[in-house]
Amino acid sequence: MRREDAAKRCYWGLVVAACLAAVLLSAPYVSAQGSTAPPDLPPELEEVAIGLDKRLICPVCPGETINQSQATLAKQMRVIVRERLLQGQSEQEIIDYFVSVYGISVLAEPPRQGFGLTAWIVPPAALAVGAALLALVFRAMRRTTPALPRSVEGPGDDAPLPESLRLVDQELGEEKA
Amino acid sequence: MSQLGTLSLVLALALAGYSLSASVAGARQRNGPLLVSAQRAAYATVPALAVGVFALVTAFLQNDFSIRYVAEHSNLAMPRIYTWVAFYAGNAGSLLFVCFALAAMWALALSLSPRYLGTLRPYANAVAMLILVFFTGVTLLLANPFVELAATPVDGLGINPLLTHPGMFIHPPLIMTGLTAVTVPFAFGMGALISGRVDDDWVDVGRVWGLVAWVVLGIGLLLGAWWAYTILGWGGYWAWDPVENAALMPWLGLTAFIHSIMVQKRRGMFRMWNIALVNISFALGAFGIFINRGGPVPSVHSFGASTLGWVFLLFLGVAVVGSFGVFFWRMSILRGSASLESTLSREAAFLVNNLLLLTVAFVTMWGVVFPLISEFVTGETITVAEPFYNQVNGPLLLALVLLMGIGPLLPWRRATWASVRSALVVPAMLTTVAFIALLAVRVFNPIALIAFTVSAFVAASVLQEWVRGTLARRRASGDAYPLAFLRLMAANRPRYGGYVVHLAVVMLAFGIIGSQFYNLERDVILGPGERAAIGAYEVEFLGWTTVPFVDRTERTATIDLFRGGTHVKTMEAWQGLYPSFQILSTRAAIHTTPREDVYVLFSEVQPDGESAVFRLLVNPLVWWMWLAGPFVLLGTVVALWPSRQRAVATVPAALLGGAAVTKAE
Repeated sequence: MRREDAAKRCYWGLVVAACLAAVLLSAPYVSAQGSTAPPDLPPELEEVAIGLDKRLICPVCPGETINQSQATLAKQMRVIVRERLLQGQSEQEIIDYFVSVYGISVLAEPPRQGFGLTAWIVPPAALAVGAALLALVFRAMRRTTPALPRSVEGPGDDAPLPESLRLVDQELGEEKA
Repeated sequence: MSQLGTLSLVLALALAGYSLSASVAGARQRNGPLLVSAQRAAYATVPALAVGVFALVTAFLQNDFSIRYVAEHSNLAMPRIYTWVAFYAGNAGSLLFVCFALAAMWALALSLSPRYLGTLRPYANAVAMLILVFFTGVTLLLANPFVELAATPVDGLGINPLLTHPGMFIHPPLIMTGLTAVTVPFAFGMGALISGRVDDDWVDVGRVWGLVAWVVLGIGLLLGAWWAYTILGWGGYWAWDPVENAALMPWLGLTAFIHSIMVQKRRGMFRMWNIALVNISFALGAFGIFINRGGPVPSVHSFGASTLGWVFLLFLGVAVVGSFGVFFWRMSILRGSASLESTLSREAAFLVNNLLLLTVAFVTMWGVVFPLISEFVTGETITVAEPFYNQVNGPLLLALVLLMGIGPLLPWRRATWASVRSALVVPAMLTTVAFIALLAVRVFNPIALIAFTVSAFVAASVLQEWVRGTLARRRASGDAYPLAFLRLMAANRPRYGGYVVHLAVVMLAFGIIGSQFYNLERDVILGPGERAAIGAYEVEFLGWTTVPFVDRTERTATIDLFRGGTHVKTMEAWQGLYPSFQILSTRAAIHTTPREDVYVLFSEVQPDGESAVFRLLVNPLVWWMWLAGPFVLLGTVVALWPSRQRAVATVPAALLGGAAVTKAE
């Protein structure tokens, strides 16, 4: 398959390669006209369209939204978004359409329901756990007795060098500062 | 060249292996000569690997297509200057680069590390050599760039065109060097633990190399953003792509570390925590390499050859288990010496900073692995892309910026509310002025308004620190203002260098907020002579020219830019079509001013052969983001500049109960 060949050769992003190759394979998916020239929309509607572009992932370019991607499929999807907006479809209807065609992975952010909700809950939970731990640390550290001077505990800075290491310095002909 | 290269890898592997075992044996038996030879072997890995690098570069220069790696990543048409980029354009070459960078950086760190570290050095060397053994071993056995082809092709496949950009000369090597540089503070931390010399000896050397790794990685990330902005053609600079994230995470860990290590330097606290942080940073780096090289997650940077995934996963596992194993084994000797006196103190602020940074790192990692988890659990992949990170990490980063304005105002040990209030008066006033100014220029988006105001507050608080310090110096010494300012900076370099970096972060925030909330964007089709408006600007498409090359077809569109009816400049937007790669590479025409960028992207030509599709963008304040780069560098250099004597005693000794002692040497 061309897609694999391209990926093997490439190192950095080379999505675009994969995209173009995959577009050829997935072309039948896309609207019949396959035009990539965006229809002109009134400014307010264009803003809505860009907002939608940023919520949809280009299925052949991992990680890029159709707003970012220059792949043909992304361009075609941008056209579909605009055509459907002109037909008076709601944002949700358009999103649902793309999900029905490409599956849930076409959404740029996890849905806030079902398993996708986990993605949203875990970060604040982690922050809360971290903050709680920090509060405990604060309490524990404040309870410990005030500091002893550092010089009286343990092997300090002035501890003499072991003989063997002095030898290292001599061997290397390096003077001690 | 092929034999020479392989030989160099074998030699480096043997040297690193010897150095590792001799270090451990020498340190255990207190055998000086053995330690010396271990150290020399560690140094010798550098020339050994340099030979390998030389061999591969020569093979590229000679178009030696009998070597598979050369045949796959260059061709006769490739300009010679891109040899260096082609060198690390694939897995095997980048691994060779990583080996060399690691060996060189470690040799430098080892030779500069002070003698008083004692047995810490050989154990640190053992850890670094263990890692080098791993990388050279993988390069030699699993991804050898010197493997020969059965039959020599007439021409190579060529370098990937997206890599032929000036940024590519620096961005990938900096990222790779940065990821490997995390090894240095990690090795010293491990060495401190194993040798039991966890007293504050390792702090200076750990801090210096933590900062080095931090700045290399940071500048690498910024250059990557610049590259994406000028060549990837969507007008953005950061996409929260898994591979970007992979480099960001260790950088966040290091950011936490270089702050927290200051607490140990000044107050002798957080010993355990600092070791844990350096472990975490290293683990995040290993995770980054795994994501980078193993490619379990689809990414803009996907690397094709993912057969190495398991190796790096193993490496990650061993790194985490090993480093934290040592950590728990030695935990009893890591007790800190001072207690936290108040939650309203700089120490406490640093801990909150650490919490926020690690949460951002965690969220980022969560976002990277969540698609895999969801596929495992539900059988359906759920994508996590930019909107998620912006919504979750955005507020955390803003909180960090806010903390950057408050933390420096808090004294060590204990602040009183009264002192905090008095320190806040001037910044609060300046912030209010900024707030009114923002409303005056019609910044009404609530989030943008808050974010800009917070940034202004940080700038005001940093400036106040400088002004107050300079005034105090002048009163004390009678120096002229500029001299007093410079002496102030010189007197406490870590602190004032840090402030320079904080200002750079404000610039970065400024650019990000402006371009995130106020960018304009339009796709238009223009025929020759036609105009389209965006914001206060108008662009007129004049026409395009086509130039065929052996490997590509270049098209250059000429565009006139107008503002308010007057001609600003004539710009050229470029695209190159590389049929053999099926890549359309674009270079936008960008008109940059501190206020905003006008960005014109030549997306495609229309079937009529005359008109073309353009993407027009106005990106406010992006200029400030690139300005942050030099300031980050400057601040880090200031912070790293060695003082004449190794003095810990900038905090008056009396404050520390006589604890602040200058080191013995």
